[in-house]
Amino acid sequence: MSRNTIRTLISRQKWIAVVLATIVLAAVLSLASPVFLTLSNFQAILVQSSVTAIMAVGMTFIILTAGIDISVGAILFLTSALFAQLMLDTENYLIAFVVTIVCATGLGALNGWLVVYFRVSPLITTLATYSIYRGAAIHLTGAQNIPVPREMGFLGNGRILGVPVPILIMATIVIIGVYMLSRTRLGVYARAIGNSERSAKETNLPVGRVTIAVYAFSGLVTGIAALILLARVGGLQSGIGIGIEFTVIAAVILGGTKLTGGSGTVIGSVIGAVFLVLIDNGLNLMNASPYIYDVVRGSVLLAAVAIDRYSAMRRHSALEAQKAARMA
Amino acid sequence: MTDNAPSLSVRNLTKTFGDKTVVSDLAFDLHPGEVLALVGENGAGKSTTKNMLCGLLLPTSGQISVAGQPVERVSPTGHGISAVHQELSLFGSLSVAENICISDLPGSAARVKWDQAEQIAREQIDFLGIEIDPRALIETLGAGKQQVVEIAKALLHADRVLILDEPTTSLTAVEREKLFAIIDKLKAGGLSIIFISHFMEEIYRVCDSFVVLRDGKQVGQGKLADVSQRTLEEMMVGRTLEDARVALGSPSQSPALEVRGLTSPDFHDVNLTVHRGEILGIAGLMGAGRTELAEAIFGLRHATGDVLIDGKPVARNVTAMKANGLCYVTEDRRTNGLFLNRPVRENLSAAAIAKYVRRAMRGIGFRGEKAKSAEMVDEMNIAIPHIENHVSDLSGGNQQKVLLGRWLSMEPEILIFDEPTKGVDIGAKFDIHEAIAELARSGKTVLIVSSDLPELLHITHRLLVMRKGRIVGEVQRENYDSVAIISMAASSGEEVSNVA
Repeated sequence: MSRNTIRTLISRQKWIAVVLATIVLAAVLSLASPVFLTLSNFQAILVQSSVTAIMAVGMTFIILTAGIDISVGAILFLTSALFAQLMLDTENYLIAFVVTIVCATGLGALNGWLVVYFRVSPLITTLATYSIYRGAAIHLTGAQNIPVPREMGFLGNGRILGVPVPILIMATIVIIGVYMLSRTRLGVYARAIGNSERSAKETNLPVGRVTIAVYAFSGLVTGIAALILLARVGGLQSGIGIGIEFTVIAAVILGGTKLTGGSGTVIGSVIGAVFLVLIDNGLNLMNASPYIYDVVRGSVLLAAVAIDRYSAMRRHSALEAQKAARMA
Repeated sequence: MTDNAPSLSVRNLTKTFGDKTVVSDLAFDLHPGEVLALVGENGAGKSTTKNMLCGLLLPTSGQISVAGQPVERVSPTGHGISAVHQELSLFGSLSVAENICISDLPGSAARVKWDQAEQIAREQIDFLGIEIDPRALIETLGAGKQQVVEIAKALLHADRVLILDEPTTSLTAVEREKLFAIIDKLKAGGLSIIFISHFMEEIYRVCDSFVVLRDGKQVGQGKLADVSQRTLEEMMVGRTLEDARVALGSPSQSPALEVRGLTSPDFHDVNLTVHRGEILGIAGLMGAGRTELAEAIFGLRHATGDVLIDGKPVARNVTAMKANGLCYVTEDRRTNGLFLNRPVRENLSAAAIAKYVRRAMRGIGFRGEKAKSAEMVDEMNIAIPHIENHVSDLSGGNQQKVLLGRWLSMEPEILIFDEPTKGVDIGAKFDIHEAIAELARSGKTVLIVSSDLPELLHITHRLLVMRKGRIVGEVQRENYDSVAIISMAASSGEEVSNVA
């Protein structure tokens, strides 16, 4: 494959870029450390990415509609708090699970409804709900750390047929996400709305309902992610979800979804999430200071959007040159 | 439904926005297989009519009947009426099949049947007789094919009436002929079509009957075979030009603004000279590169070539142009021109603000700003209760006057206008025309870009015609002839094909 073919492939299928970057990074890491290429390390990386990857699936749909949800970390925290508190109060798994998932979906839907109803930028709307949700969670639990029952650990560390449960849950949600995006009306409508809201309205698409649905879906998967996270860390801690919206949005953008909406893939976002964990993994292998992690993550995101902008500009000027050539 | 019931029948159709009546008392019938031309000047109410007929706008009063049945509110998918808007409602990063079928995807909500969608798209495209891969992304197609996809998309629901709004503006001659062939085919199949266009030759080529709108009122209707093009044009313009003749001064022979070899991706090797006291118009179709040219002269756009003011080359950037007394009154006043949620006073003083600051060195604030703004409000005949009113409260015409007033308070020598009367009412239009003519009479130099040909014929000394980025003709006022100019602007003699 010539350089040019790779270049066209990447410009058409943006997520290929993050796949290549992930492979390169993995190759470098496997040279640096003999344990990297082992199955157990591979599984550990996927388990570590599972929470952000699951949330990134939901965020992909939101960003496809040209929206954004800053409050996902707060939804993660509030639903975790809700579940831990319910288990403490009722000791009934069924009630706790159902209420948690329904509330997570409802919190997402509320974000979507506010965006549709008030027509305020989703950035501001969800910045506000971020504060509300996080505050509500602290209020609910009195800022206490609450342990969850030991058997919950199965969701975080258990295995079925030798495969870690978080990986199975993640795989299921990814498959559902891929299916939804390519095979359901919701998926097509979401992409269409992100492409052109004017066209969507002129075509009589249910813009409001689709917007609410994608935020609700993101809330739903965030609720599931919350259960895995609780299981992995053993209980509610006040730090849960802080800064995770950055990782989730970064994963989606690294995965080739356009921040302005309209095009993107679920797979890309998931690989973006894995890529970000790999970076942590690499920094860990290098014994880097923990304080440098955020600097590196931010720089990677900046580099990714800069490269994307640069190639878009080059494509644009190539088009302009063609236009000029046609006229001359 | 009886055989002779009209596919669409409109009675007393009226739409008002606030206290402004945009369309009033429309009444016409459209029979199966009939192609109706809906004509009128810019701002005559064609778009509003179109939007009411296809269900995007709810009429204020009046009745729409489809196939003899009165319809409460036209549903975009339920009544067999669809519109192809001038600005296409397509989704660039979706495939052709997704675009065509999007409002009625086969299969269930949870399981879209893409093979069926592709099949439907393929049938639609084949029916229209154009080669397009249903899997191709819209953004990879040229304008002509996108137009066909849009028609295919509309036809999925339009089994009675198809509305085409300026469907040919971005098409090459070959693509235009293909479109006309498609229209003939649809007509033969019994579909009724409403054809909105500015191009008389196209109207006579494809339409059977006509409805003329002027200032929101229906001023004429009938069979095209019974009227000459001249009569039709006069109905559109209404007042024959004598009604409101502006007094044009006589321009001097000294060049004020000269453009030498200006070239960019949107236009090629443009040369022009405007003399002091002259009003020069640039006519052309949408997409001919006129706005791009005007913006490049003012330094808003990158281009190569020279701009000379009073014989001296001037760097093409906004600061240098303003310092040399040149200003540009934008086509898009709402997004590029005005500060909508600020008072009229600030909007009027924004361009010349430096003058007020200098005079106020010893104090704080802008001395003279209020008085000068109030003066300008009188001079421009801007209808507002108070200069502290926000611009967003004004009508389009008054907004345009504010924009014009802002630049005038800079006391410019050369003014470039882009669509100076777009979307303004007739009264404001006269005021603006008179203001422009007065500028030229007092020795200023004026360059006007406009899609409104009667306007250009009305207030310019000389016209340049642009087509596909080139100046293709020059006409002196004594030789003005709208038909000749339109054909020059639209002619397809040496068309460069750009079908992707």
